[in-house]
Amino acid sequence: MSASDITLAAAVAAMIAGAAGTALTRDVTRLVVSLGAFLLSVAAIFLIVASSLLAIAQVFVYVGGVLVLVLFALMVVHRDTDERVGLDSLHDIGAAAVAVAVFAGLVALLLPLAGTTGSQTRALPNDIGAFLLGDGVVAFEIAGVLLLVALLAVLVVVKGGEDR
Amino acid sequence: MSLLLGFAYGLAAVGLIAGGAVIGVWWERKVAGRIQLRLGPQQLGPAGVFQMLADVPKLLFKEDIVPYGADRPTFRYAPMLVFAPIAASVAVVPFWAGWAPLDSVVGVAFFLAVPSVAVLGMLLSAWASHNTLSTIGGMRAAAQMVSYEVPRTLAVLSVVVLAGSLQPTEITGAWRWWWVPLTAVGFLVYLIASVAEMNRGPFDLPEAESELVAGYFADYSGFRWAIFMMAEYGSMIAAALFGTALFLGGPAWFAGVGGLIAYVGVACVIITAIMWAKWTFPRMRQDHLMTFCWTVLTPLALVQLLVAGAVAVWL
Amino acid sequence: MIVVIGCAAAFAIGLYAVLTRRELIAILAGAEVMLGAANVQLVALALARGGDPAVASGFSLLVVVVAAAEAAVGLSIVVTAYRSGARSRLEEFGEVDAE
Repeated sequence: MSASDITLAAAVAAMIAGAAGTALTRDVTRLVVSLGAFLLSVAAIFLIVASSLLAIAQVFVYVGGVLVLVLFALMVVHRDTDERVGLDSLHDIGAAAVAVAVFAGLVALLLPLAGTTGSQTRALPNDIGAFLLGDGVVAFEIAGVLLLVALLAVLVVVKGGEDR
Repeated sequence: MSLLLGFAYGLAAVGLIAGGAVIGVWWERKVAGRIQLRLGPQQLGPAGVFQMLADVPKLLFKEDIVPYGADRPTFRYAPMLVFAPIAASVAVVPFWAGWAPLDSVVGVAFFLAVPSVAVLGMLLSAWASHNTLSTIGGMRAAAQMVSYEVPRTLAVLSVVVLAGSLQPTEITGAWRWWWVPLTAVGFLVYLIASVAEMNRGPFDLPEAESELVAGYFADYSGFRWAIFMMAEYGSMIAAALFGTALFLGGPAWFAGVGGLIAYVGVACVIITAIMWAKWTFPRMRQDHLMTFCWTVLTPLALVQLLVAGAVAVWL
Repeated sequence: MIVVIGCAAAFAIGLYAVLTRRELIAILAGAEVMLGAANVQLVALALARGGDPAVASGFSLLVVVVAAAEAAVGLSIVVTAYRSGARSRLEEFGEVDAE
């Protein structure tokens, strides 16, 4: 086992721990910290296996953007309550069974695909840029339009709430 | 080996920022002292340097108070989350022509992305204090910092387009003198947005002392308070160094030690200008702040990016 | 290999969070976990099958962008719902008040 294998295993372990924390904790700050640990370990896996640009984008968009938004929304919603708020969940055996079944199905389906050893090279930012503005330009433009639509949708939703 | 180097670099970065913050605080008080006729930092010892020696023990020996009702672990460790990303961002600054502590191919994106994690630390410390003023300050900080990231990133992109690279050392290598007039507007947008990013006056609404006491760090004392101050001065130092390197060419002027001295000197002039702005301009209003970001800075940065892109294509 | 199993586990945990959480924002956090795990799975499998790393990373980048847009819209809906009557929990959305 090489050093990079150990780092990868540690990142995967941190990812699962972060996901479990996000699913199970009852405390608002622990939820945010767990989700942050999950997103950062996803960035670490990207850095190890795929490309540094993807890892940086993950940190920029998720940790600096989405996670801040999540915490912001939690603060708005729980602003008025005076005591420490708890997040509850309805633990039941059916949901756990569904989750375990999905896990088993995914592993059974995807593990045979991962058997072959693939390329070990990582993508440079220039290659990703060449792809996004070359073969992937349609997807790239559609993503841009989607962002604009989402921006307008957020404006409409929030303005509609103010009128009421 | 690389782990050892990384550890050594981490120590050096923390030392650089801690030392820089101590000098920066003293220098700021000197600038403020000139503007507001304050005597201590001017006359305590030769040119007032002993003020630094008075400030540090005062902070170290203050009581570390955790307020009643606060979320203890989060309250204690959230300041680290504010400081660590800013210390990490100094790693990609190209101090020497062709050399940076962490010479990454995505260095520019690293410098812009990693400090945005600090917003999370600010929001968490505000939330953990369980205090209305802190919460308002934290929410103001989050709204302001997430918004001002947009013009800041766009302004830096104009230089990236001209150089055709995200690697800071390559950008300073490709730097030409005519970039300065061409990207002057972009540099101005970058500086203003950076000052807003570090929550300094005239954009210091999140910590406005006359209404919010100190905003998200109102309940902090002693060394934990000093960590917030070090983060603020650290991001000022980092923004000045990085802006000088990318927009003004920084280490590309002269070879050798003279280049480093000239580069750091210009960065210090920019730091002084940022302090000057804080003590000269009044604080902005929250709605003016947001309007200014979205209707002035962002369009200016977009036009700058368009111009830089046109020149890059035409060349 | 370890990445594929780990991502499947994280995806299942995210699914469990979506199924059992009662608070809207926590459900959204679970959905983010599922999206992130699926995204890593996408890249890892593409590379394991010998795909072009640039193409895999480029597509993942687009997934990150789309997921961020989804999160922004979702959170704006949550905050608006909360402001129009302080509702942020799932069961409260069944009730319709005739105001």
